[in-house]
Amino acid sequence: MQPAVKVNYASLCFCQTAFVVDEVSTIVKEAVEGAIGGNAYQHNRVNQWTNNVVEQCLTQLSKLGKPFKYIVTCIIMQKNGAGLQTACSCFWDNTTDGSCTVRWENKSMYCIVSVFGLSI
Amino acid sequence: MSDLAKEKAARLLKKRGSLSSLGSHDVRTKEPAWKAKDSISTVSYIDEPGHHDDIPRPAMQMENTYQLGPTKRFPVLTVQDILKDVLASYLQEEKYEPELCRQMTKTISEVVKARVKDMMIPRYKVIVVISIGQLTDQNMRMGSRCLWDAASDTFSSHTFKNSSLFAVANVYGVYFE
Repeated sequence: MQPAVKVNYASLCFCQTAFVVDEVSTIVKEAVEGAIGGNAYQHNRVNQWTNNVVEQCLTQLSKLGKPFKYIVTCIIMQKNGAGLQTACSCFWDNTTDGSCTVRWENKSMYCIVSVFGLSI
Repeated sequence: MSDLAKEKAARLLKKRGSLSSLGSHDVRTKEPAWKAKDSISTVSYIDEPGHHDDIPRPAMQMENTYQLGPTKRFPVLTVQDILKDVLASYLQEEKYEPELCRQMTKTISEVVKARVKDMMIPRYKVIVVISIGQLTDQNMRMGSRCLWDAASDTFSSHTFKNSSLFAVANVYGVYFE
């Protein structure tokens, strides 16, 4: 007997190996909220915060169980009117690899997290 | 028109916009900034991966190479020299200006990527991240951590500073198996 539902294996396979921006951005936002939350800028805790954000992102990303290598960078900057520009350019396979940047801010600081996923 | 179709159309429009600008990011705000909340976040990404080509290319089937490791490692020191050279030549005389630096980050990252590509390191993917910031009395911390094979993958980094701005350049070389 023929199965009633025809599964598109090609797209199923693609979903499992592609870099899904929405998925990653949710992870990053949760990590930032979890690490910094409602805190105001404190000089001696920034080191800890950057560590926590990056660590938490990587842990969650690895739990996705996808065949990817990940690079996570985090910048925390105090808000005092100073400007910051950041850009990236990549040489990779556009069909599988992807990047996602989340800019988060509260009253006293900026937090910019970039995640790059490179398929193996 | 249904909401779904509208959203799709808007996204398509955005995608076109992001294609034309050189390596720029497509910014969209998930939550409205005026929401009663003391923190906001925006997400940006290069493009939706996998939907880049209008004409889908047929999947190419390669023969096995049985190669287990890189034949040539990522030359950290050479790349660092490139970074030093490029950052110094582009930023030595510059004063911090938002618009100029916005262009500058894009230009520098493209130039560095092109120069690293020119070295023809087989099977390495290259990621160049450039940040330029203003030197006022702010505090800033930048950290990165990677989930990769430390035996073959590596990075090089360089910091440049003049009287009014600082620039941090990171190049990651990730081996593609």
